[in-house]
Amino acid sequence: MGADIRDRVVAEVGKVVVGREKETDLILTCLLARGHVLLEGVPGVSKTLVANAFARCLGLQFRRVQFTPDILPLDIIGGFIFNLKDREFEFRRGPVFTNILLADEINRAPPKVQSALLESMQEFQVTVEGRTEKLPSPFMVIATQNPMEFEGVYPLLEGQLDRFMVKVSFGYPTPEVEAGILKRNLSSMDLGDVRTVVTAAELDAMAREVDSVTVSDEVLAYLARMAEATRKESSLVLGASPRAMVQLLHCARARALLDGRNYVTPHDVKTLAGEVLTHRLSVDRAAALKGVSRNPEAILTAILDRVEPPR
Amino acid sequence: MLSNELVVGALLALNVVLYASLAFLALRLRRRKFAPSNLMEAFGDLELALKEAVPDLPSGFTWEEAVARLRSSGVRTEGMEGALKGYEAYRYGGAPLPDLDYRGVADVANTLGGTTAGKRAGGASIGR
Repeated sequence: MGADIRDRVVAEVGKVVVGREKETDLILTCLLARGHVLLEGVPGVSKTLVANAFARCLGLQFRRVQFTPDILPLDIIGGFIFNLKDREFEFRRGPVFTNILLADEINRAPPKVQSALLESMQEFQVTVEGRTEKLPSPFMVIATQNPMEFEGVYPLLEGQLDRFMVKVSFGYPTPEVEAGILKRNLSSMDLGDVRTVVTAAELDAMAREVDSVTVSDEVLAYLARMAEATRKESSLVLGASPRAMVQLLHCARARALLDGRNYVTPHDVKTLAGEVLTHRLSVDRAAALKGVSRNPEAILTAILDRVEPPR
Repeated sequence: MLSNELVVGALLALNVVLYASLAFLALRLRRRKFAPSNLMEAFGDLELALKEAVPDLPSGFTWEEAVARLRSSGVRTEGMEGALKGYEAYRYGGAPLPDLDYRGVADVANTLGGTTAGKRAGGASIGR
């Protein structure tokens, strides 16, 4: 069932986006693991298009918010509005009350607005003036950001980045994929062509199945050794948090299910570690000055090459 | 009476046969380094063989990475891939130890053993 759902979603998204199979798979994995995803890449690499097409092919409610410097928390989570007719304050729900929220260019919104999303991302609920409202299930934030923008942006802080289960980097396509994109764009392309290929009920059933995927003690110990190695790494000032490791565990379970297995292998953990952990690691600037790699991906790869998995 | 030439010739032929058999046996023993008796042992042997034959394989390698590396080096891994699934289901999924044919795994381990011997003699090696 898992592999079938993945094939359907990847094929449907592939109708409008060329060469983003791996990224689509990661977003689906993250959704099943009840996480949120940060899509990072320069403009024009199909981040928003992938998010749009992904949301469309699932039978879920979808809202998109374009983050700008003048946006307010009220514009995201909603707030109390005075109803002149009833002469009472009533709660008006913001766009966060949806299944999939596309937070486009999240780093262009001020920290107050970014923080407003935190509770909803972590607790799956919203609290305004003492009133708490549950968000619909499933709920997933797909945020996008451009790493090359330095002016008029508010970079996400470590605590905010930690809320994202996965960061998916959108690089430039290979020449072969680029040729495919150009060919695809010779004829008109319409997001309306993307059909709903997975029902909400199927997704719900799959998400519940994720909880029944077995994780052996040896794989848990492997995760713990991996966490310790990131914390002891001298070129990092911030290693993987326990929350990060829990999210890696959930993600690995979802991946196993999508691969048609009911158990997690060390390979699931290792292959997802990059996407789940890299954005949470902080490189020591002093070490970087001494010539040690400043790239957290390279540091993590070296750690993963050292930590022995169970075999 | 047999002539001396005939005796020498017969002895020479006997020597050739004897030494050829010994050389063949030694080669066989060297190539068939691993003879596991179950699936667990077969994968244990394969791990040893991998570490010996592919010294630059990082200690954090997973079975899937090892298979990909072997395949890219031209080692036939089809025989072990089915066994790997069953082994992983047992190892990480709590399934009973499957009664799978582990000869494919042993064959790969022995191929690597052979490769190691070859490498020592300046022959083939498993590269990236």
